[in-house]
Amino acid sequence: MASYLARRTGYMVLILGISSVVIFYALRSAPGGPSGGGVLSPLSSQEVRQAYEKRLGLDQPIYTQYFIYLGHIATGDLGTSLVNGTPITELLKVHARNSLILGLSALLLSYLIAIPLGVLAAVKRNTWVDQLAMGGAILGMGIPNFWLALILVYFFSLRLGLLPSAGCCDPPQLIMPALVLAAEGTAVTMRMTRSSMLEHLRDDFVRALRAKGLPEWQVIIRHVLRNALIPVISLTGLRLGWLVGYALIVETIFRWPGVGYLLVDSIIRRDYPVAQFFSLLLILFVLLANWFADIAYGLANPRIRVA
Amino acid sequence: MSADVALEVKGLRTTLFLREGRVDVVRNVSFQLNDGETLALVGESGCGKTLTALSVIRLLPDPPARITAGSVVLDGSDITGVPESTMRSLRGDTVSMVFQEPLTSLDPVFTIGDQIEEAITAHRKVNRREARDMAVEILKEVQIPSPRQRLDDYPHQMSGGMRQRVMIAMALVLDPKVLIADEPTTALDVTIQAQILELIRAEQERRQLAVLLITHNLAVVSQVADRVAVMYAGEIVEEAPASEIFANPRHPYTQGLLSSIPSAAGDSKHLYTIPGRVPDPRVLPPACLFAPRCPYVISRCWHDHPGLEASNGHLLRCWNPQPFIALKAVEPEVDRSVATSE
Repeated sequence: MASYLARRTGYMVLILGISSVVIFYALRSAPGGPSGGGVLSPLSSQEVRQAYEKRLGLDQPIYTQYFIYLGHIATGDLGTSLVNGTPITELLKVHARNSLILGLSALLLSYLIAIPLGVLAAVKRNTWVDQLAMGGAILGMGIPNFWLALILVYFFSLRLGLLPSAGCCDPPQLIMPALVLAAEGTAVTMRMTRSSMLEHLRDDFVRALRAKGLPEWQVIIRHVLRNALIPVISLTGLRLGWLVGYALIVETIFRWPGVGYLLVDSIIRRDYPVAQFFSLLLILFVLLANWFADIAYGLANPRIRVA
Repeated sequence: MSADVALEVKGLRTTLFLREGRVDVVRNVSFQLNDGETLALVGESGCGKTLTALSVIRLLPDPPARITAGSVVLDGSDITGVPESTMRSLRGDTVSMVFQEPLTSLDPVFTIGDQIEEAITAHRKVNRREARDMAVEILKEVQIPSPRQRLDDYPHQMSGGMRQRVMIAMALVLDPKVLIADEPTTALDVTIQAQILELIRAEQERRQLAVLLITHNLAVVSQVADRVAVMYAGEIVEEAPASEIFANPRHPYTQGLLSSIPSAAGDSKHLYTIPGRVPDPRVLPPACLFAPRCPYVISRCWHDHPGLEASNGHLLRCWNPQPFIALKAVEPEVDRSVATSE
């Protein structure tokens, strides 16, 4: 176990290192730059631009810039935004908090919907309940989330006037982004819960539990569901990764000031320090999520824990 | 102690409702099981013995299987058609069941302690500590060493024999009247089999337990059964005390089963097998179900369905019973002469 963890951690560091190089080069090879219309006015003179680049060190070769950046990170200096001079640590506090609120709401919402419906669909297999739930799941997987977002805004904000179309950070403003962010994961989780339930409902121990005289709900919820959740839990790690990707789109559409929104904005404005830091942060998050999924799998399944 | 009837089954019929139509898989099965007695239900795979047991405890896979006739009297009360809630309160309390495969019959993600305790708390108002103490007590009784520590084990951490002991402990913890054991030793190796059978027999004596033993293994039957009912294609074809069945089997099917046991002193290199195969329950023979495979078949067997007739406590469903002579396998002629002469 210890050597496994060490190897996992080693991979994580390696992936972070490689991605930091890729991100660093990719940002700087994109046309424009902070001096080319991103931060400075596009109308500023050649001299002003050169002075600005010199001050930031952008006139140096990219690898030199990279190592200077690494040096700063190593001493705990994350830098400041080129756009408004806000320290990245400040941005991190506000935006990470907002993203966590949105992400966790979406995750919670999707499990609250997906697991009960998945169980119900399995127990009421081939009835209208099952067909309705599975039909919904296909829609959830099929509809692109940016389109779903627009449709929801159209109906609930423009037509019905029930919910604000964008903004932060009151509960009504949270509802639609959380719903859109949850949609696909809910559908996948529901289908997985259903098929995993069906698989375990056929297990011998189900009959043995009934033979003990347990109430049917206890057989289903306590035993079959507990077994059926093992793959669902391990899917959580993957889902956290998807959430990160979708957060960029959903936060941008709903102008939810989270990490995704900040990242998209900083890339458009060529705000190098912000874009660099937050892309790496998201990569780190995905890596940690996968790591967590492995651990959670062991917690849910005693046969793996011991092995 | 007087022999009270623990379980009585009368005219049980269990039907599968399939797309092709209704198929009776248990037909007119009746038997009686007294306190402290072991009745073995014997027959080939698919003869309906497990479905009979599941019908008694009402755990048939529904759909497609349903009881369509007959009555079941458990511990003096008729449980035919009682609601599921009543059945639930009887299962695990008055009547328990032990299954063939102890590994898959235990939930892999719960400790055995949890699984025994929930059998207790499903029927008794006891707190956790009391349930735990009862679990330790019963594990001790089925001879599991250091029972208090084993409570925290998961099923995969135990051996097959240990797991079956746990299953038996779980079945007996509430002191039921009837234990249904469905092939309890089939998944275990031979030395463990003997221990498990010995355990069941010891518990039976201690508790005056009525045991319905379902098996295809006649060696197991000879070790523990008081009476034997032989099933063929969903019917009981012969029922008698165990000693009588082994000494004087009268139904040709029973005789065939006994002839198929490999004996250490066997003079034949080849094992006897009953010719043919179990009939498909969708297309049964017209009268006697065993007629197509029977060595003593007479013309009446094709027209009249034989009834289960009693003589001296020996029930038999046969028109033409013959005294038992161990049937011999037909030795294939491996002629060396052929090879040499050519």
